[in-house]
Amino acid sequence: MYSKSNNRVSRRHAWAARLIAMSAILWSFPAQSQALPDSQKLPSFLSATVARMSALKLPDAVQVHGFATQGYMNSTDNNNVFGYSSRDSGSWGFREVGLNASVQLRPNLLISAQGLHRHAGQGSQDIRLDYGLIDYKAYSGENTQFGIRLGRIKNPLGFYNETRDVAFTRPSIMLPQSIYLDRTRNLALASDGGHVYGETRTSKGDFFYQFGVVMPIVNGPQTEAAVLGGAAVYPGHLTSKVSVIGRGMYEYDGGRVRLSVSGTRLQLGYDPAAAFPRDMHAGSVLFTPVIFSAQYNAERWSLTSEYAIRHLEYTNFGQIPNMNFTGESYYFQGIYRFTPSWEGVIRYDAMYTDRNDRSGKDYAASHSGSATYGRYAKDVTTGVRWNVTPSFMLAAEHHYVNGTAWLAPLDNPGASTLTGGHGQHWHLFAVQGSFRF
Amino acid sequence: MITATKKMVRNGCRLVLLMALLFGMLSATGIARAHEHYEVVTNASVTTRSLSSNSLRAIFGMRQQIWQDGTAIKVFVLADDVPLHNSFCKEKLGAFPYQMRQAWDRLVFSGTGQAPTKVSSSEEMFDRVASTPGAIGYLEKTKISERINVLQVK
Repeated sequence: MYSKSNNRVSRRHAWAARLIAMSAILWSFPAQSQALPDSQKLPSFLSATVARMSALKLPDAVQVHGFATQGYMNSTDNNNVFGYSSRDSGSWGFREVGLNASVQLRPNLLISAQGLHRHAGQGSQDIRLDYGLIDYKAYSGENTQFGIRLGRIKNPLGFYNETRDVAFTRPSIMLPQSIYLDRTRNLALASDGGHVYGETRTSKGDFFYQFGVVMPIVNGPQTEAAVLGGAAVYPGHLTSKVSVIGRGMYEYDGGRVRLSVSGTRLQLGYDPAAAFPRDMHAGSVLFTPVIFSAQYNAERWSLTSEYAIRHLEYTNFGQIPNMNFTGESYYFQGIYRFTPSWEGVIRYDAMYTDRNDRSGKDYAASHSGSATYGRYAKDVTTGVRWNVTPSFMLAAEHHYVNGTAWLAPLDNPGASTLTGGHGQHWHLFAVQGSFRF
Repeated sequence: MITATKKMVRNGCRLVLLMALLFGMLSATGIARAHEHYEVVTNASVTTRSLSSNSLRAIFGMRQQIWQDGTAIKVFVLADDVPLHNSFCKEKLGAFPYQMRQAWDRLVFSGTGQAPTKVSSSEEMFDRVASTPGAIGYLEKTKISERINVLQVK
């Protein structure tokens, strides 16, 4: 069904069989959409345009791609990352498997879907629809184009969010946690709704823009724990409210310089369980992060920096006091390609939960038992990556971290308290193998 | 007086050196152009005969799917580590192969686009471009025949 040249399914790998089995599930999505006549989906003047364009033969128009990643984590000071990594033997509990299919029905009409299995400590889910969308390019001219996307769409935040679970697209095993915080990943990953997008090409560079009105995806214990501050403490559940998201990007000289501003105004509600005896109200959360990103790409090296300012508001929960604070995150990262197959990465990554209380002292003073270092994390990362073949890579990295702000509460109960037994200065060593096709 | 003269001579030398370097770079670019041993090629059905480098970048970046006459574009590339692919990316697209790979990966794994079709040799490149309506690729000049078109990049 898929094109032979660029979609090789290796039969050497035992688990490939499982991937292929998963594809059967994914097929149902494109197949259904294909069956719909175009005229039902598009206004007539658009379908007339579509009709003029030559239809592609199906085998050429279909692509299937996938990836599988296995990681090993070993950390110190009772601080756990992706499973019980602080025990002597470390943790093999980090695994990502994805499979996607896309069909270019017409030159301006694409449908695609990806299934994702991810295991990374207590907060992970089994299998989810990572994205599933229909992309219609309404206008495609010499230097300008724009279109719309409908469905479950990856959130365009920063440089890495849309492909954050694909090891080959990450600069390191773990993305800079200050901005690509793992414990709120379910919120950050994708949302359901519609986007408009476009690009304008000029002699002074290319401009890309994307804007969406969406409903955030709030299921998952990790999200509730991260947002409400503890696992299973509150029996109600989070609900999504209409949110907006957008990104503007500028690329100069074929991507030698890349600059971007992205952000979202993400709104959540809370549905308290009816029988709950304590006074928990239907509160709401407003999260408005803005990310500034910059990158310089040379043949051998790339420099990347991102800065995020994250405003967070909690109102009317009753049990949880109203909160209104602004977090701050940034990192500087350098990558050097020794050869096309060997590269090294070095990064300084800092996160402050409240930018007006970077040391955490004010928070600790007003919350008895809280550790100051639960309110920040400063991470120095060094790593190496070996692209063994174009479709198989190995990576290793070391993190030296001061603070516990981004540790997942489900894997680290009491990480922000003095009595939780979690150390302030800690090390994390990680190894990863990844295959893709 | 002597020190002033020395200074002038030194500055003069620096200027000459700088000019020599600049001219060297200019002529090196000229040589690179003259030595380009390949062309951007299209299927004989493609009516577009010249294209801006911006448009070429959008096509090989898999962001532009249709030719000016509305027909579908089909992109063929060699593997990332093939020298011809490297030259083509740098000279015609103004990007390095790793950047193209990253751009394709962003499309493929976010569901917003497809990857180009990889061919394993220049012979296969010729066959696929010659036989696929709307096809675009790149090929050594010695391997180009009348069965395919050469596209001028402005």
